[in-house]
Amino acid sequence: MTVAAKPDLTEVDPDRYRPRNKTDLTVCWWIIPIFYNFFGLIFVLLARVMPPQRADRNPDQIAAFFHAHTVTIQIGFCLLMVVIGGSGIANGLVAFQMKRMSVSPVFAYAYIAALAVGALPGCLMAAFSFLTATFRPDRDPQILALLYDIGFLSFVGSLGCFTTQYLVLALAILLDKNNIFPRWMAYVTIWQIVTEVLAAPVFVVKAGPFAWNGSISFYQGTVIFVVYEVCIIYLLKKAIERQPLGERIPD
Amino acid sequence: MWVFVLGDLIIFGTYFVIFMVERSWHRDVFLESQRHLNLGLGAVNTLVLLTSSRFVAQGVRAARRNDNAHAVRLVLGGGLCGVLFLAIKSYEWASEIAAGHTLATNTFFTFYFMLTGVHLFHVVLGLVILGVVVADLKNPELRRVSTVEAGATYWHLVDLLWVVIFALFYVLR
Repeated sequence: MTVAAKPDLTEVDPDRYRPRNKTDLTVCWWIIPIFYNFFGLIFVLLARVMPPQRADRNPDQIAAFFHAHTVTIQIGFCLLMVVIGGSGIANGLVAFQMKRMSVSPVFAYAYIAALAVGALPGCLMAAFSFLTATFRPDRDPQILALLYDIGFLSFVGSLGCFTTQYLVLALAILLDKNNIFPRWMAYVTIWQIVTEVLAAPVFVVKAGPFAWNGSISFYQGTVIFVVYEVCIIYLLKKAIERQPLGERIPD
Repeated sequence: MWVFVLGDLIIFGTYFVIFMVERSWHRDVFLESQRHLNLGLGAVNTLVLLTSSRFVAQGVRAARRNDNAHAVRLVLGGGLCGVLFLAIKSYEWASEIAAGHTLATNTFFTFYFMLTGVHLFHVVLGLVILGVVVADLKNPELRRVSTVEAGATYWHLVDLLWVVIFALFYVLR
């Protein structure tokens, strides 16, 4: 850990951010578990995107699905449009801790950029295609099937941005000499890369363990994602608690 | 490193269980598809990885004796075997794809390409780790037996996973 011997809190250094207290960080931290609870509520209970619907349905069954769940999909994804920014705060706090590591800030920039790109296919495309489908549910079932496929393929199949995000985080933790996060978190992050990559066949497979609702493509990946989120949220709290007041954060 | 090894074994263990369940449901498809895999190349690759594990294990022994120059040569030998494994695997994949067997052919080939692919990712990661081990061995300030042992532990995991994949995909009838 970097130890600032006796932080000189009176020194004026307008060019750098030096936390005098941790209220701001604590507020940001609390937004993360609240946001992910909303996220789970929206995707699992309201929008019915998690666990994913079957990949091998015909257009009439898909139309019936949208008819049956119009109201909850609309409530859920409209709510998502309100709270989606919470993911930005979660990612910002991780990137902030990455900037305290003894690695180049390019890791933190790559982390933010990868997630900024990933939010579109990994979250927003599913929301917009489902909201479009329920906006006029009397459309031709073939068109509803198209929106259904776009929604699930982008939601489960958006891999590259997230593997990059996990890779830069794992590398930063392994190279870091300031012990911001423990090494085992890098390993948990590498498992995330493995499960993301194993979802690649969703684009060609419609049934079985590699379909978008499959045991490997979806369920195992999601279990490990929940483990990852719980670990990173806990470790962010610990990192904020141990962060010395007045520490210089590199620009 | 043991956290990673044990967690990885649980994750791969789940994949193997799902593979066996799917295999019992579609036994005919799996057996028919399995005939198209090149058992010979699989066996050669198994020998290559076992040899590399032996090199790395001897490298650990040399490092414990403080015979660092020898340890570097042995770990590099293990790494070269890893590169050979990658080359053979690429050739095997290319010939399978040329024969018309791709990810989309059936569940067996999806499993085959995905699990050998994720294993290849582990091999590449292992080569990076062996590279770190060599760099540490060459630098008197960073040199620590625990680093060499951790690298070797990971490399043996890669080997163990391959032996199970080889048994399940190529051999099991």
